[in-house]
This record gives sequence, C-alpha cells and structure tokens, in this order.
Amino acid sequence: MEQPRIGVYICHCGVNIAGTVNVREVVEYAKNLPNVVEAKDYVFMCSAPGQEIIREDIKKCQLNRVVVAACSPTMHEHTFRTVLAEAGLNPYLLEMANIREHCSWVHTDKVAATEKAKKLVEIAVAKASTLEPLEEIEFKVNENLLIVGGGVAGMTAALDSARRGFRVYLVEKKPILGGNTARLGRLAGTDMRGVDVAGSMIEYVKRNGMITTLTNTELVSVDGSVGNFKVTLLKKPTYVNEKCTKCGECVKVCPVEVPNEYEFGLTKRKAIYLPSPASYASTYVIDGENCTKCGECVKICPVNAINLEEESERIEIYVGAVIAACGYDPYEPSVGEYGYGLSNKVITLFQLNRLLDPEGPTNGELKIDGFVPRSIAFIMCVGSLNTTPNSYPYCSRMCCSSTLKDILLLKEKYPNIDVYVIYKDMRTYGRDEQLYLTACEKFVKFARFREAPKVSVTGESLEVTFFEETLGEEISIPVDLVVLAVGMKPPKDVEKIRTILKVGCGPEGFLKEAHLKLRPVEAVTDGVYLAGAVTGPKNVVESITSGSAAASKAVGLLCREKVRIEPTIASIREELCSGCGICVSVCPYGAIIIQIKENTRSAKVEPALCKGCGVCAASCPSGAAQQLKYKDIQLKAQILAATYKR
Amino acid sequence: MKYPPNFLVIKVMCSGRVDPQFILEAFRRGADGVMVAGCHPGDCHYIEGNYKTLRRMTLLKRMLREFGIEEERFRLEWISASEAEKFVRVANEMYEKIKALGPLRIEEV
Ligand SMILES: Cc1cc2nc3c(=O)[nH]c(=O)nc-3n(C[C@H](O)[C@H](O)[C@H](O)COP(=O)(O)OP(=O)(O)OC[C@H]3O[C@@H](n4cnc5c(N)ncnc54)[C@H](O)[C@@H]3O)c2cc1C
Ligand code: SF4
Ligand code: SF4
Ligand code: FES
Repeated sequence: MEQPRIGVYICHCGVNIAGTVNVREVVEYAKNLPNVVEAKDYVFMCSAPGQEIIREDIKKCQLNRVVVAACSPTMHEHTFRTVLAEAGLNPYLLEMANIREHCSWVHTDKVAATEKAKKLVEIAVAKASTLEPLEEIEFKVNENLLIVGGGVAGMTAALDSARRGFRVYLVEKKPILGGNTARLGRLAGTDMRGVDVAGSMIEYVKRNGMITTLTNTELVSVDGSVGNFKVTLLKKPTYVNEKCTKCGECVKVCPVEVPNEYEFGLTKRKAIYLPSPASYASTYVIDGENCTKCGECVKICPVNAINLEEESERIEIYVGAVIAACGYDPYEPSVGEYGYGLSNKVITLFQLNRLLDPEGPTNGELKIDGFVPRSIAFIMCVGSLNTTPNSYPYCSRMCCSSTLKDILLLKEKYPNIDVYVIYKDMRTYGRDEQLYLTACEKFVKFARFREAPKVSVTGESLEVTFFEETLGEEISIPVDLVVLAVGMKPPKDVEKIRTILKVGCGPEGFLKEAHLKLRPVEAVTDGVYLAGAVTGPKNVVESITSGSAAASKAVGLLCREKVRIEPTIASIREELCSGCGICVSVCPYGAIIIQIKENTRSAKVEPALCKGCGVCAASCPSGAAQQLKYKDIQLKAQILAATYKR
Repeated sequence: MKYPPNFLVIKVMCSGRVDPQFILEAFRRGADGVMVAGCHPGDCHYIEGNYKTLRRMTLLKRMLREFGIEEERFRLEWISASEAEKFVRVANEMYEKIKALGPLRIEEV
C-alpha cells in the first residue's frame, strides 16, 4: 500500500462544536499524528467554501486519505464522499470523526470535551491510514413487483403500481381477494359495507392487465436483494375451473361439513363451497384440507368443471421490490374467556357484523335460536389492552368505533333493545367521537370496568359481573346476549413471512417499520415495503393510504435503472480459509457458500446477497473472512489509537 | 442530555461484528472498561447478529473473570437508536463503577 498522506478537516459547526471544543487545539494535535500532512479548521466544513478547502488540499498536498471531524456521518458522509470523488479520490478513502453528537453536544466541560475530540480524531486518523479504495456494486433493477396479501392495502398498492405501468404479482393465500374488510358489515363512519369497498377494488384488479392475481397461493422463498429478488410461490389447487356456472349442485351432494370461516363459524359449509356470497366470487372452490375425494361432486357437475387430480404448482418469478400486506387476524377468544364457546349467546363483534349484514346467514336479522335479544352487553377491549392474560398490550384502534356503529344500526332496527357497553377506555378517536355522542343520545348505557368482567352462563341465562369504576361497586347485569369486541392480532403465519422476507417484528408480533415516524412503509430490508394492518392495527382508510404510500415507494425504486449498494461487504481470503464453514452457518442472509476447487474447500461470498453485517468476520477462526472497511486490522488500529497514551 | 466524556466510540455496522479479541485487545492496551452496545434482541438491523453477540460475550465474560478483570469493567447493553436516555443512564452507571474500581492493572492478558 502507498504511504498514507492524510488531511484532517475540523468543523466548528458554527458554535455547535466550537462552543464546547477548542478547535484550534484539536488542529494542532492532529498535525502531529502519524501520516497527517495537513490539518485545518473551518466554520462550516459542509458549506461550498468548506468543501473547496478539501478539494484544493487533495490536489495541492497530494492527499490520498481524508478525515473530516464534524457531525454524524448520517448527515454528511455522503457530502464529503462526493468531495473526494470530485477531486479524483476514491470516496471510500474518507473517514469521519463525529465530534458533535458524540462529543460537543453531550459534554459541558470544555477541557475534557477538547481532549475527547482529539482522541476521536486520532482514532479516525488511525482508521484512515488503513483505508482501501472500494468500488460500489451496481445492479440492474428488475421492474416487476410482488405484493403479498390481497386485502384493501395490497389491492390498493397493486392498482397504484399497475396504473403506472409496472407488472404486479398479487399473491393471496385464500381462494379469494378482499381480506378482512370484505367480511365487515357496514363500515364505521360511512354508509358503505366492507364487501362493497373490497368488491369495487376486486373488479378493478380483475380488469387491469398489468396485475397477475395468484389466489390460493403461498410464498415459499425469496432470495436475492433490493432490485433483484427471485421468488418461489406455491399455487394450491381449488379443483374447480372457470367453467363453473355457480349452479350449486355440487354442494347438495358433498358429504363433508365444516365451520364456515367466512361467517366466523356461525354456519357450516361443505368441502366444496363458494368462498364469498358476493358476486365477485366467480367459481366454487374445494378446500383440499377437508375434501375426502369421494368424487360425488364430479359426478353431478353438469359442466365438468371439477378435476380432483389437479396438483399444486410451483411458480418462480423475478421482481425488483416486494410489498408485504398480510393484514391481521381477528382475535379469537379461547373457550371460557368471557364465556365464549360455552353458549351460543356469547358472540364476537365479527359474528354480530355477519348477523347484521343483509347478505349474512340471517339476512340481517339479529336472531339467536329464533329470538331477538331484549338486552345486549358489549364487552370492550377483548384481546387488547392487557385485559386478560391472553390479551395483547396495544389498542386495536377500530373495535370501539365499530362497536358503536353496530349499536346504532341495532338501535335503528330494534329501538327497544337495552344496550350496555362495558368498557375499559372508550377510544373513538378523530371523527368517530360523533358515534359516541349519538350513542349517548340513544340511551346506550356505558359502564367502566377495572378488572375484566366475568360472564356466567347458567342454562339459558347470562350475567355479566364487574367492579364499576364510577359507582365504585360491583354490579351484575343479566342480559340475553353478550358481544365481545375483539381486536386485531398479528396474522397467523407472520413468523413465516418475517423469515422469508428477512424483515423485523415488533414486540407484539406485527412486522416492523424501518423507522416508526420517518419510514413507516419501509421494512429494514431494502426493497421490501409494508402496507396496511400488518404493521399494527389500522382502519380501512389508513390501510388504503399506506397501500398507496408503499406503492409509491416501491415504484420509486422500480423506475430506477440501477441500484447501487455499499461495498462494505464481506470478502474471503481464499489462501487463509480452511473451509470450515462456520461463516456459512452464521450468515443471516445465506450469502456464503463453500466452493470446492482442486479438492480444497473454501468459502465464497455472493456480493448480491451480503448485507455487510460483519457477523462472519467476527466468527471466522482463521481470519479469512473480513468485512471491507471494517477489517480486523482496521478496527484494531482504532482500538490501539483509542487506548494509546501520548 | 450529558454523559461522562471518558467514552470513545468505535463504530461497527452491527454488534455481531465485535470479535471478543477486540475487547481483550482494548483491556490489554489499557482501557479501564469496555461496553458493547447493540440493538435489542429481535431488533437487530441484520436480523440476528446480536444473538451471536450475546453468545460470544457470555463466553467472554467467563474468560475475563479468569483473567481477574472485574465484571463491572465489561458491559453488553441493548440500546436502540431512540434510547438516548438509556445510553446516558448506562454510561453514567458504568463510569461511577469503574471510577470506584480505579485503573485496571493486569500483568499479561
Ligand atoms: C372488530 C373490528 C372491526 C372493524 N371495523 C372497521 C370499520 O368499521 N371501519 C374500518 O375502516 N375498519 C374497520 N376495521 C379494520 C379493518 O378490518 C382493517 O383496516 C382492514 O381490513 C385492513 O386491511 P389490510 O389489507 O391491511 O388487511 P386484511 O384485510 O387483513 O387483508 C390481508 C390479506 O392478506 C392475506 N394474507 C395473510 N397472510 C398471507 C400470506 N402469508 N400470503 C398471502 N396472503 C396472505 C389475507 O388472507 C388477507 O386476504 C375493523 C377491525 C376489527 C378488528
Ligand atoms: S370430492 Fe371433496 S368436494 Fe367433492 S364432494 Fe367429495 S368431499 Fe366434497
Ligand atoms: S457480512 Fe458476512 S455474515 Fe454478514 S451478510 Fe455478509 S457474508 Fe453474511
Ligand atoms: S444491527 Fe445488529 S445489533 Fe444492531
């Protein structure tokens, strides 16, 4: 390696740094450090004249390394790298010392802060002496987009991206699009039903030639990285083709009966069934898990639409970006939780929604065992706000508004029903507060619990007992029906999605944003975006909004011709590698393989997969695996400088 | 928000890059204390680097004990980028403890 010639540039950042650090002293200190040929200070190093000082010195003093002591590299590393490039130096020959966030801003004693700034500069100079030029890695971007989840968030993202000319693969694990929204009755705050909102989107999706919809399909694997993902999907058979005329003859002969999930178990369905009563469900489907393959439906089908021999299909696609829009699962109370499962008079809010839906199992009549209940208790926060040991800690955001919306519908239809809302906290945020005010006008009785209420089921009668906060005493309310306002929980296979997409999960199990405030629709993995309730409870409007936001982020990537990735990835010195494979086993991205050349085993890094964490470098027993810019010798040089006493 | 100026920062992309050797090296060269700070378990930007760190540092702690280095001199802490307060608290605590112990004296590590 050539003899390092380092220039050190120390920024005052106005008074941000110079107010606490004696910059002149640091300059003098820097001048005496090994390999330093020039050291200067300036009031704002990042300004145009500041940058010019560095550019000039690089030429005049033939600098081949630069240290800038200023603010956090997050702010200006890019700026100064560009300065180096403009002056003809490789941009990776820059090292920054953060003497603002790591020093002047967090210390008050000027003498001590100045001493620390000197040390930080010394550490940076030591690192700079070991820097090597690195080339950024460039890849062509594949223009296709994968969206996982066909709820309102996923469909919005698909429509937005397709309308801008990008090919979209919309993957949905259920046999039909629409997600949870389609099963909600009337949506809070509007006159629309969930199924109408979802239905209109489904029609647009069907008509759009740029969207390839893959229902009954699951994600198997995603390899590669930003701009270039290879995706493997498994499309499961529905055994019924598009010849199906929806005559329904098959249902009459199918001997298998299971709970109907679309109706939240209120009714039963056959193994061959219509996945939604809405008109957009275009064929019957067979659920492979429960079908016994008896063949009765095949015999009766007048148009020969059924083929029980149909097999799963593995599909491979290539995309440049991925949007995860897997939504949520409704919280399902366990048997006995608030009497659920012990009586058909304890139902969830979703079941009530279905009962109130004109297309639901009772055509919109609220009848249980043939009778309209005279009194109903709604128990709020079921599954949320830590009300029971099984509950989640967060607020599910929509249950309060949705409950009140249902109560107002009920009161319109059955004005004489007595309604009790037993809540922990009423959170009808934003405009939904109007629902609460209207409910009060309609004489809905609100009572507040401290500990989760007890629901006792004795024969035909139900009683809800709890300590009422305002009265300050325990009360019991006998009712004909108990409705549990259940919330949202992370979707069932979120763990699988998380591992396949290599994105993070928050403590509650929802997928995690790269930054809650600043990057709410991006995942930590570059090229992966998040939309809808999969990052936590959201209503339909919020889910649609985030679908659009995720689409615009993804399209922003897809319309770039090339992506560049930081070259600070791992590299393996073959001559030192023993082929032990430890690095292969620790790499979280499967970026290392063992190759066999002339009978010797050695590891090899795939640059497109390596994300540059350095885990392999810390694990390699032979020192063969190294992370560029964070090599052992580079970090040790910093440690030496940090501990060196001058 | 302030903390003692005795902390010098060496940046790595992930706590998983930290080889226990680096820590031994720092003590050998005269550091009185070493802290490794990483993201919370489950929150590593590189998925699971910090689980590797946890395992390595657990072993390292045992080694340090054998070398006669007081356990207060080494800390592994999970501190996210948004937890400035936690960083300050941990830094102050560590500073106080090490000040009480005085400079590290070891013959040969
Ligand atoms: C009790 C209750 C009442 C509500 N009432 C209202 C209301 O009145 N008004 C309102 O605005 N909002 C309401 N909501 C919220 C509303 O349901 C959500 O905002 C909306 O459904 C979120 O849409 P989404 O597309 O993000 O997710 P979802 O609707 O959950 O759709 C996700 C889709 O992804 C699919 N999927 C999941 N995992 C995979 C996988 N691994 N592979 C492929 N596909 C997958 C699912 O099958 C599903 O189709 C209510 C919620 C609750 C809990
Ligand atoms: S083959 Fe399956 S779907 Fe068809 S009737 Fe038999 S059980 Fe039902
Ligand atoms: S630095 Fe090593 S462990 Fe980390 S992603 Fe790259 S190859 Fe894998
Ligand atoms: S990125 Fe791995 S511990 Fe922070």
